[in-house]
Amino acid sequence: MIQKTINKELKELLRDGRVRISLFIVLLLLGVAVWISSRQYQHNNRDYAAAKLSERAVWEGQGEKNPHSAAHYGTYAFKPKYPLSLIDQGVDKYVGTSIFLEAHKRNEAQFSAAADQTGLARFGDLTPDFILLFIIPLLIVLLGYNAFTKERELGTHSLLKSAGAKGWKIVLGKWTALFLPILTLTAVLLLLAGLLLSNLTDYGVFQWSSLAVMGLVYLLYYAVFTNLVLWVSHWAKRSGISLVISLSLWIVACLAAPKAASNIAEARHPYPTRQEFAANVIKDKDAGLDGHNPWSKQAKLLEEQVLKEYGVDSLQQLPFNFNAYLAQNGEEHEAEVYFKHYNYLKEQYENQSGTYRSLALLSPFLPARFLSMAIARTDYATHWDFSDAAENYRIATQKFLNNNTAQNTTYGESGYKASAEFWQELPQFDYQPPALGQILANNRSNLTILGIWTLFSFGLLFFTAKKI
Amino acid sequence: MIITNNLTKKYGDFTALDHLELSVKEGDIYCLLGANGAGKTTTINLLLGFITPTSGSAFINQLNVQENPLETKQFLAYIPENLMLYPSLSAVENLDYFSGIGGKNLSRIELEGFLEEAGLQSEAFHKRIGSFSKGMRQKVGIAIALAKDAKVLLLDEPTSGLDPKASNEFGNLLQKLRGKGVATLMATHDLFRAKEVATHIGIMKDGQLKQQFVASAISLSQLEKAYLETMEYKTYAS
Amino acid sequence: MTMFRYNFKYESILLFRGRWIQVLIGLLILLFGFATYNGQQKTQKRKADIATINAEIQASDQNMLKLLDSVEQGLQVNARPWTVPNTPMAIGNYHPRVASKPPSDLSFLATGQSDMFTHFVKPTVRGDDLALNFSEMTSPVQLLFGSFDVAFVIIFLLPLLIIAFSYDVLSSERESGSLRLLAAQPISLYKWLMQKLALRFFWVAVITTVTVLLVFVANQVPVAKNFSTILSFFAISLGYALFWFALAFAVNLWAESSAKNAVALLGLWVLFVLLIPSILNQLGSTLYPIPSRALMINEMRTIKAEATERQDDILDNYLRDHPEYVVNDTTQKRSFWHSYMASQNLVKKELEPVLLTYENQLQKQQQLLDNFTWLSPAIVVQGSMNQLADNGSESYEGYRNQVIAFAAEWRDHFLPMLYNNQAFSSEDYAGLPKFTYTPINGQSKLSALFIVMCSVVVVLSIAALRFWVSSAEKHSII
Repeated sequence: MIQKTINKELKELLRDGRVRISLFIVLLLLGVAVWISSRQYQHNNRDYAAAKLSERAVWEGQGEKNPHSAAHYGTYAFKPKYPLSLIDQGVDKYVGTSIFLEAHKRNEAQFSAAADQTGLARFGDLTPDFILLFIIPLLIVLLGYNAFTKERELGTHSLLKSAGAKGWKIVLGKWTALFLPILTLTAVLLLLAGLLLSNLTDYGVFQWSSLAVMGLVYLLYYAVFTNLVLWVSHWAKRSGISLVISLSLWIVACLAAPKAASNIAEARHPYPTRQEFAANVIKDKDAGLDGHNPWSKQAKLLEEQVLKEYGVDSLQQLPFNFNAYLAQNGEEHEAEVYFKHYNYLKEQYENQSGTYRSLALLSPFLPARFLSMAIARTDYATHWDFSDAAENYRIATQKFLNNNTAQNTTYGESGYKASAEFWQELPQFDYQPPALGQILANNRSNLTILGIWTLFSFGLLFFTAKKI
Repeated sequence: MIITNNLTKKYGDFTALDHLELSVKEGDIYCLLGANGAGKTTTINLLLGFITPTSGSAFINQLNVQENPLETKQFLAYIPENLMLYPSLSAVENLDYFSGIGGKNLSRIELEGFLEEAGLQSEAFHKRIGSFSKGMRQKVGIAIALAKDAKVLLLDEPTSGLDPKASNEFGNLLQKLRGKGVATLMATHDLFRAKEVATHIGIMKDGQLKQQFVASAISLSQLEKAYLETMEYKTYAS
Repeated sequence: MTMFRYNFKYESILLFRGRWIQVLIGLLILLFGFATYNGQQKTQKRKADIATINAEIQASDQNMLKLLDSVEQGLQVNARPWTVPNTPMAIGNYHPRVASKPPSDLSFLATGQSDMFTHFVKPTVRGDDLALNFSEMTSPVQLLFGSFDVAFVIIFLLPLLIIAFSYDVLSSERESGSLRLLAAQPISLYKWLMQKLALRFFWVAVITTVTVLLVFVANQVPVAKNFSTILSFFAISLGYALFWFALAFAVNLWAESSAKNAVALLGLWVLFVLLIPSILNQLGSTLYPIPSRALMINEMRTIKAEATERQDDILDNYLRDHPEYVVNDTTQKRSFWHSYMASQNLVKKELEPVLLTYENQLQKQQQLLDNFTWLSPAIVVQGSMNQLADNGSESYEGYRNQVIAFAAEWRDHFLPMLYNNQAFSSEDYAGLPKFTYTPINGQSKLSALFIVMCSVVVVLSIAALRFWVSSAEKHSII
């Protein structure tokens, strides 16, 4: 009986002209989005590879130079593009893709793409995630809003009941008929993307497991929508009302709630302004170890400590250049200051995430969005991870440079230049985004919320199935 | 009042109306009988100017319908099969609106007068139409015709869905209008009511007017027999 | 004329009894209320941030003047030598002025780009123009999701309300049978339909205007002071609403059942508000890709490396990285700064062409996109709102240019003093350059309105085509 319902529903759907047109249009858009996205992805990766190479060449080609000059000249750490970013670009457009690593300063990633674009960019891009997150749920609304109301309006509802059809069977049949085309669409898209990505194996490591998990997240998201739309269709008195209510749900969930949530989160847990942040960092730096000023308190303490440790009376007697050693300690202390302040930012972001999570009660879009970005390694957390990795590399680089000076010069010596081949000894910056397991563990709460939405919506639907 | 001359309507190869010659005079009630698809509704649509004839012409009050769409509508009133009106407006308000947009500016007393004349109980005047039965809505439709001082009345299945009492009341209303000289054309399946109220009866099949009678000249059973005979020769169009 | 009078009376009664008017008022108050409140919050924060920084500078200035006074009286001061305020470089580097972009009174209308960029900068003499960072610290998730501002309500949500309000104007009459009765009256159905929609537009316009004004007043928006801007705001919003009513008119004439109308209008909403902007965006970056910043960076660094080598001929490289040291060596002081400035200039000159090429390419892409914004009224209205709020990308570009100009002015104020070995004194304080922000006047507000009205005309013409098509009965509107 369920099979019969499924068949009938599918036939009705396919014979409905507007349904055919909408399905066709969505497929077209998906195709275009994937094509555009893959081109951009390849373009970005070529850029990334070229930039990485040429930056390394610049670093290695510095010639004879004082290591501290090299430290100020700095180097760049570039953020690699993870394969699944082809499907979900996440926040990549809004965060920079390169961090400048120099002495005494921790910088933010610069040159976000959005900063270079006009206001048009804020409308969004035609990317696969745009279709997956916004258009397909709308499709679900348009295909399913009259699933039950049409039976009532055509008068076939009483026919069904008098034929002894069980409520839950009808519901299951309709649900399957609505979900099947969506499932097919999503599977096609993800398979297509997967095939494309696995052929681009030169860039990044592509894992089918990540793709599968992402697919699962989206399918759960669609299941929630299917349930809600069918539930509304059952309770609405007329098709028109059902359409308006389901649409409002779509608008609130996908458009209004995220915006309201982001505004509320920002208002409750604001980030400091750039100036404020910089000022606080400077204050802490001043209070702390000052690598350049041998007259500051902490330097004196360190001096005494080292002299005692080596059992000598003056700095000149040390087997290494104390100034360089002091400089490195100053550097590390400054780095701590930065870690403290960046951690404050992370905390604020965590608090903001808390707000998003509580507002996810209004919208299944929020957990799905965050999960999708996280799996695609294009979320804010991955950016933090990259940022921290770059910082660690920066500190290691400073150590590499300062040690060289400490070992090869004596206290008070100036004019030292490292050899031209020295630069090649610095290991390259290599960043690997976190593994899937780690990511899922970090996003436990989002997974839970999505799970709750799924269970809740199924519950709603089958509870009302009894009333049919 | 209503005259059709070789009125024909074709949709591609399909002939909905085939050279119809019809004449309804003042004070006549002409009932058009026929199966679904026989051409009754097409005739009414043509007379209303909702569609244009392939050939031939229709006249209301000696005015060609096709050439004078707005003028002919001044004279005629129409009650469709499912007369819904505006459910959230009252009977008086509905009447006011439909006569008002047609150019008749009536006072409340006048409006209530027309409703009363149409047989609607006074308690219902200010109640919302959404709660009315079909019979009550028909009466409002008649009131609209009265308010308009229409010379021609076109009815499409007016008695379908009415109980015998309401149907009888409706028949009486038609006679009242007939007394005022209104020419009525009524498309219906209701043989009984047709025999009760009509002055003339026509039977249509496949777009053609097969038979015409003067109502007083035949009995109900003869009418039924004639109707069935006409229907039996129904050809299944290729 | 009488048809209009009756239509007006009964359409309004129907809307009121059908609860439309009440729902509309309630929804609009809710939506505009939240959006305006939100926007005002952001504006307050922005003002507060600027006020704080101004207060800080004030306090720092007071301290500096006290210190200066002590120095001029010959007293010993407890400060790091290179920060003592009697030298122009100390003032120029450690007591910069605030170059701020205060929010306009109507900044709450549209967030625009205001969440991406910073609103105050403190340019120093030593600073590098290229190092001036204008981006603000914001959660990129917030940038991704966007803001719930008044512009969002008008561009995204108002059309949906209009669609819900008018998708079945004709089709419901048809489906309920009253259309046939109407068609039997001596009236023109097109005129009748147009009147109905015009009346609905009238009510939407009135209710929107009144609720918006109420919400503005409740949120302390200075309406009277910004009268003409607010007028432009209403003009463009109502023009946009008219566009959607025109679409509803066209769809009601062309399509058939209420369900089909709803789907058609929603499809059009998705097209104009979601798809066209994002396709345009995508097309822009595919056909005219933004030049690679990464490659530009590398080019610049290579040039900088070469220029640096030449700089070494000019000055000792360590001092270059730590100029504050120079203070210890008075004989070196003047020539050092002179050389330092000269070498910075050298680098800047070398890098400028690279930067310019990049910026030109960027501009070209943006201009090309600008040429196609007329494709969707949503884009035009968004741009217009950004402009009214003074938060658009052109506005920030204007601000950036003004800051760079001020940085040059600041630098030029001190260099003569430096070269002449002049000390900085308390009297010189009053003569320090100040920054004032002038909002730019971008694209004329009228042209945006003009484009939207053109769209309305186009849609109405398409609707009018129906008039000729209707002679074929298959498409009769009855």
